[in-house]
Amino acid sequence: MRRLFFLVTLVPALAFAMETQVLPQGAIMLDVGYLRTSLDKQWSGERKPLALIDELPRYEPGGGLQGILRARPVAEFDFLLVQALYGVTDSLSVGVNVPILMRSTISTNLSWQPGDYQPQLGRSYSLEDFWSWAESMGQPRVADRAVDSRFRLADIVLGAKYLLPRFEWMKANAFRWSAQLNVALPTGTNADPEEAVSVGTNLWELHAAGDVELHLAADKHFFVDEHGVYRLNIGADVFYAFFRPRQYQGGRGLKNPLLNNNAFYVGDTYWIDPGDWLAGTLSIDVVPFLGPTRASIVSGGSLEKAHALPPMLTLSASYTYVGTFQSDWQSASKLWDWDREKLWQAGEKNVFRFTGTISLLRLGVPLQLYASYRSQDIIPGRYTRPANVFTGGVRAVMKFW
Amino acid sequence: MRLLLLLPVLSLATLACAPATPPPTRETIVVTGSAYDRGLQHGTALRSKIRSFYTTLLNNSLYPFLSREQPDIAGLLKEYDSDRYKEGRFAFELLLDSAKSIERDLGRAGRDELRGIAEGSGLTYEQALVLNTFVDTTLAVRGIGLAIRQGRAPVIESVEFLGAGADQVDNDGDGSSDETDEGVFRPYDPPFFAAAVELDVRTRLRVVFSDADGVEPQTVRVRVNEALYLHGDPSLEFVDLSPGRLQVTWTPPEPLPLASQITFVLSAGDTRIIEIPGPPRASFRRDEELLVTTRGAGLHPRDISRPPLTDNRTRPPPFAVGVKGARAASGPLLAHSFALLDANTAHKHTVVVEHRPDNGPPYLTVGWAGIVYGLSGLNSRGVGVACNPSDTLDNSVVGSVLSQAADLSKAKLLASGLPAGFLVKRVLERAGTAAEGAAVLAEDSPVYGWNCTVADDQGGLEVVELDSDAFKQGQGGVYGYGPTDRDATMRRFSSLTDDDLIVGSSYTRNRDDSIFLNLAGQRVVPQRYWSGFFFRSRRVIDNVTRRLQARAEPVDVPWLEGLLAEPEVVDRSDSMNAVVLDLRARTVHSAMGAVPAPSVPFVATELRP
Repeated sequence: MRRLFFLVTLVPALAFAMETQVLPQGAIMLDVGYLRTSLDKQWSGERKPLALIDELPRYEPGGGLQGILRARPVAEFDFLLVQALYGVTDSLSVGVNVPILMRSTISTNLSWQPGDYQPQLGRSYSLEDFWSWAESMGQPRVADRAVDSRFRLADIVLGAKYLLPRFEWMKANAFRWSAQLNVALPTGTNADPEEAVSVGTNLWELHAAGDVELHLAADKHFFVDEHGVYRLNIGADVFYAFFRPRQYQGGRGLKNPLLNNNAFYVGDTYWIDPGDWLAGTLSIDVVPFLGPTRASIVSGGSLEKAHALPPMLTLSASYTYVGTFQSDWQSASKLWDWDREKLWQAGEKNVFRFTGTISLLRLGVPLQLYASYRSQDIIPGRYTRPANVFTGGVRAVMKFW
Repeated sequence: MRLLLLLPVLSLATLACAPATPPPTRETIVVTGSAYDRGLQHGTALRSKIRSFYTTLLNNSLYPFLSREQPDIAGLLKEYDSDRYKEGRFAFELLLDSAKSIERDLGRAGRDELRGIAEGSGLTYEQALVLNTFVDTTLAVRGIGLAIRQGRAPVIESVEFLGAGADQVDNDGDGSSDETDEGVFRPYDPPFFAAAVELDVRTRLRVVFSDADGVEPQTVRVRVNEALYLHGDPSLEFVDLSPGRLQVTWTPPEPLPLASQITFVLSAGDTRIIEIPGPPRASFRRDEELLVTTRGAGLHPRDISRPPLTDNRTRPPPFAVGVKGARAASGPLLAHSFALLDANTAHKHTVVVEHRPDNGPPYLTVGWAGIVYGLSGLNSRGVGVACNPSDTLDNSVVGSVLSQAADLSKAKLLASGLPAGFLVKRVLERAGTAAEGAAVLAEDSPVYGWNCTVADDQGGLEVVELDSDAFKQGQGGVYGYGPTDRDATMRRFSSLTDDDLIVGSSYTRNRDDSIFLNLAGQRVVPQRYWSGFFFRSRRVIDNVTRRLQARAEPVDVPWLEGLLAEPEVVDRSDSMNAVVLDLRARTVHSAMGAVPAPSVPFVATELRP
């Protein structure tokens, strides 16, 4: 038997609005968000949806095929995202993103296809027969639903974004460009090698972002008013995400003797080189409503400055193509490695994101509310797991003049 | 600026983008020198696969599976209640006991090769020893377990074709009609050939099942060709004859077709539900097959060929086919379809090993990582051999229990003798002809029952049916025959001509492999009464015979490869390898590394001089 899960989901990387947005010098933005993600399939190399794990044909020694165990797992995760951004200068912002997994819920949705006739039973195995058989050999039944409500820290991401100097033609054409560097701290955890159903919280297992990401982004504003506020923005971002190799422990079957017993041939430890990403994003931001504007504490009592604050409503949409490279398992068993690598061949993600942001800054309330939905189902990918993510949160913006 | 950023990105991408490729599930290795050196080379070259094979097949599959038997076995043999066998160690210690007993018979070279395997792979010597002996020991223990289970299940006391004794027709092919026992099998003896011929199309079938716990009518199953009759069907009539005895009478709902073959498949379970080990179940009689013909078929019982069964309750067992002389297009060939225990792992660990020992001829074996033998192979002298298991209670483990019968409280299940793979190895190391190979097979007692076919490039072709002769039946456990040999009725044992042989996984000559004996309440009976292989083997022999008979031209390698891949003769779950030995060309054609094995192309491996 193989362990049932190697779960992957998606949490957002360090979040800045717009591709090139930075904070004014001295400004601080605190962002607290709730994120719910669900995952129920993986894309094949032919862009077909498959169950997250392969079907498991089960054999009885000398008795042929007992049956085929199929799982259609649905994994749901609840994250708390805490971010802080700080404007070091008007061109440079730094930030930290702290994702905390609050709860994971995995429904296995097991089904069974009977196999060969078993003379000693007088029938083929049913799913109940199979678990009864497995339990007689010390393998506990895998729960239909596994809920873990422990708060677990994922990898913390530190980031810096620098608004690059603009050439004259850029200024003349409302064009900005920026570079961004994100670096993850290894504060997340690996999946437990002894559990049948287990979730790791490092960036590789969450498939959220690279350990190191280098972005180059650009925005072009349209319909810019005299205060510098645009009504339409077209943005682009290209980035390379580097993943460091990770060391994992082999399973000894202490809790699941038939599922997780591989250390003898895989090795006490093994490595995964996840493979990097090369990606690009196109985005559009539309401002349908600027909103009433007044001088307030947020603008330092200046109506002029208040007019330069973000619009009350911004609607955004983006498409991100992520090319993922081959993941490489490096254990003492090439057979075992291949069983995993075949599911993680070079592939792609096609991510669409839709966001609505309500900013109360112009009203003198230093808050922004936002909600977004991210889907990887619209254009099927290859060798990736399409998590769909809802995010909602609030940002508080402060500046000390 | 942009270009400068792009260049490092692209170079990183190139480095990270190497696609994964699947590792081979079959390997070919050449090992040379002393037995130890060869073992060391084998163990080193396939270290990862050996450890993977040991873990996935033994630790994760066979050990826990065998451990389920501990309560039953310990109930009879109290030694298995001791601490040494507790805490999950039962299966390994059970197999290790036997491995150590077998070790003595392996000879120094055999032990040295295992030491080399252990050292090269990182297994302990004991693990390597168990890996190389578990097949035969497990077959013997499993055979005993199966026989015990069949002993618990309903027994067929009698079978009667009503009216056959008064129809003025010879229904049993003995030249007489309407004898008192014509159409009656009381006591029931599972038939090798057809049970009856030339039956009236309205003939009723009556079966009496008996079981001390009672026969559960709801579990009775009567299949007649493609039709299935269960409890409640108006064609079945149930009568309780006495406690524990149930008479079932099947009446054809409409006349059977004239001049046709009819296959009856009978089964029943008892009323006692066994809860531990799970899953809960009754004890079931194996599927008993009765083949008959209806009036007008005009065939003798021995001339009737068993048709394939399409009920998905049966799988073809291993078989071998040898051809020579006029039957072979370009020299003698020996084909082998081997199926036993894949467990979704053995096929990932297959290997052709070319042995080039210091002394003796080079030889090729077709086997698995970490196992020093194959169950088929050929040597540079043009001798090839292939072995199929053949269930028997005349095995070394039963022999060990018999020798300890005076005090069962201390008795253990101990295998002894040589595993079949080591017999194959000895044939390849020593024999220059098929006759010499047969003689080598007769030198050592096997751990379990096997049918080995030996052929050579000069046209030698022989079968040796082996058992452990625990009951001292006078043949030393060796029953040989060739294509020209005939039984008491002057029919060939298992050949169409002087130039072919078809060998299954049941005994053809050694039919009474075991005596009838009651041992500590358990019935010891010949293979045909209990083995799950028996009817399957008879059927696959008939199937292959039909195909060979239909082949007008001499047989060549591609035809045999095609035969081995025919779905009707392939075990789709436990097929392990399919091999054609071209003895004249000294070439092994093998399909393996997938399940079923012949679902992938055959690969030719030539044995260099």
